[in-house]
Amino acid sequence: MKHIDVHAHLAPQVLWQALDNGGDWHGMRHEARGELEFIVGHGKRILINSPKIRYTPEQRLADMDAEGTDVQVVSIHTPLFPYHWETGEAVQASKEVNDEIADMTKRWPDRFAGLATLPLQNVDAAIDELERSVKTLGLKGAELDMVVNGLNWDEPHFLPLFKAAESLGALLFFHPQPQDNIVAVERTLRYGLPNSVGVVMEDALVVATLICGGILDQCPNLKVCIAHGGGGACFAMGRLDHGWQVRSEARVNILKPPSAYQNQIYYDFLTSSEAGLRFLIDSVGADHVVIGSDWPFVGWDPSPGGWLASLQSLSAEEKEKIAWKNLEALLGI
Amino acid sequence: MRSIDFHAHLTPQCFWRATESGGDWHGIKREQDARGRQIVVSGTSRGQLPPKSSWTPEQRLADMESLGVDIHVVSPFSGFYNYELDASLALASSRETNDEIRQMMMSWPDRFHGLATLPMQDVPAAVAELERVMVELEFKGAVIDDKVNGKLLDEPEFMPFWKAAEQLGAVILFHQGGETIVDRRIKRYHLPNSVGNLADRTLTFASLVMGGVMDACPDLRICLSHGGGYACYGAGRMDRGWERIPASDRLATQPPSQYLNRFYYDCIVYTEQALRFLIDSVGIDRVVFGTDWPYDMAQDWPVSWILAMDSITREEKDAILWQNLENLLGI
Repeated sequence: MKHIDVHAHLAPQVLWQALDNGGDWHGMRHEARGELEFIVGHGKRILINSPKIRYTPEQRLADMDAEGTDVQVVSIHTPLFPYHWETGEAVQASKEVNDEIADMTKRWPDRFAGLATLPLQNVDAAIDELERSVKTLGLKGAELDMVVNGLNWDEPHFLPLFKAAESLGALLFFHPQPQDNIVAVERTLRYGLPNSVGVVMEDALVVATLICGGILDQCPNLKVCIAHGGGGACFAMGRLDHGWQVRSEARVNILKPPSAYQNQIYYDFLTSSEAGLRFLIDSVGADHVVIGSDWPFVGWDPSPGGWLASLQSLSAEEKEKIAWKNLEALLGI
Repeated sequence: MRSIDFHAHLTPQCFWRATESGGDWHGIKREQDARGRQIVVSGTSRGQLPPKSSWTPEQRLADMESLGVDIHVVSPFSGFYNYELDASLALASSRETNDEIRQMMMSWPDRFHGLATLPMQDVPAAVAELERVMVELEFKGAVIDDKVNGKLLDEPEFMPFWKAAEQLGAVILFHQGGETIVDRRIKRYHLPNSVGNLADRTLTFASLVMGGVMDACPDLRICLSHGGGYACYGAGRMDRGWERIPASDRLATQPPSQYLNRFYYDCIVYTEQALRFLIDSVGIDRVVFGTDWPYDMAQDWPVSWILAMDSITREEKDAILWQNLENLLGI
């Protein structure tokens, strides 16, 4: 069976080349502290917690072969999102990343597809770069953070981006930052909770925001995918529906209950349990679940496709849809 | 068939009386907005009180009759935790509220049991009040917030509280008060409640487990309201996070999913599919009936909602509606 992975991170070679030469890439520098290594700049200290994040495309391909992944839909490692950088620098960095990913997809068209990085601090520039990435470079869409410098995606000035993505047929893949998310900012840094708990909260929150903000209502053909199975969004959809029933502020943008929109969204299968995945499939349909491995930060199974194949509660037909059919149709690959 | 409601709020009559003529209750005031709704004003925060929150015990009992609920395990309104106030004020408001619940228990011993509110900003005072309500007033435990002035409950300063709760056999119900983790991100669409309550509860589960509180207190009894938020659904990813921590640095001896059946959860998850998942994740002996009375997020007919479910067996319905709480509370 073929396996297409929508959730595969990349820190670009253009970054590593600059760091290896002792320099910086748009202000991002290398820093070693004892045995730990970081990429530091623009107010961030990003731990390099997997040696594979440095891999060249050739090394990445060997790793994909080893784990049985045919195609990776590559997107940037989210702490490198440049939304808080100076706009010109963010535009330039986005172009470099997108050009590099496009080169990978051209050299290995059967193995890589790509999602763009966008300079979201300027929506017009972001739309321009999305259009260039899709039309000129052949990328399949873009990866987006959960917020842009504190602004949620339901802010009206982002709507033109969603309209542009909808008309381009571009997939928008939402992925939170593992370190600087809501748990880290509001509550605690202990025990890795920003990653293990914060990430899924962010996923659930962005599902709720896209639905209740009316974005999916206004852009019915928009292609959206949420990482980590959408967090707990499907499990908690009943509470969103009840809030919509009893609170007028939950109904300002949508005439249907939130659950009516949840299968407009695609979700990767990274629920970390078979029961969780089964629940997701039963909630949104097997047509809306795809492989997402979190490469190279995944440590839970040596093979994403192998894990899928091992699940007893999924039918062969469901596995085929999740493994490749859904993404093939969604991305036209 | 009985039904025991473990998630039933009380806005005490002493508050309503004290604020009747514009007065304050331990510094807390009450206003009426243009539409006649009751607004509670505490410091800079303003919250709307639902109509039933002013009801007397007699009116509450009549509503319980219509809903088919036999017993309320009454817990004080979470807007009156008062953790941000001076500890002596919070102690005074806690004692007055707890004493009022005691009066309800004395007057209707078959219909009411009590959970206390505690001045958690002062751990020794909170422990003393917990001991008073458990030993002298025959309460079943206490309700507390997921955070105390920004601190989660795994902070070492709270360990004496957990040890006392364990020793006293108190059941601690977690319920958010004030702002949730979502509030400062987005206030629209009721998301601070509909997502935030669940997020806060998940973080409580994760921090108590990963912080070693559940290992340090093996007999501690905790109930997570709103079905524990995303805890049961998100435990798999927590396990991955736990695996990444070097064994010598771990405060939890087992992966987090192994602690799911150490907690109790109310059944407020809104869909049969989610309730089935919760039961299958944490065990049928860990799910208890709760309604969120008298708030708008409560189900209209909570007992009927449970009874009508096809995928939940009769034995499971009995366990949820009353048996588990009889065993847990000794009633």
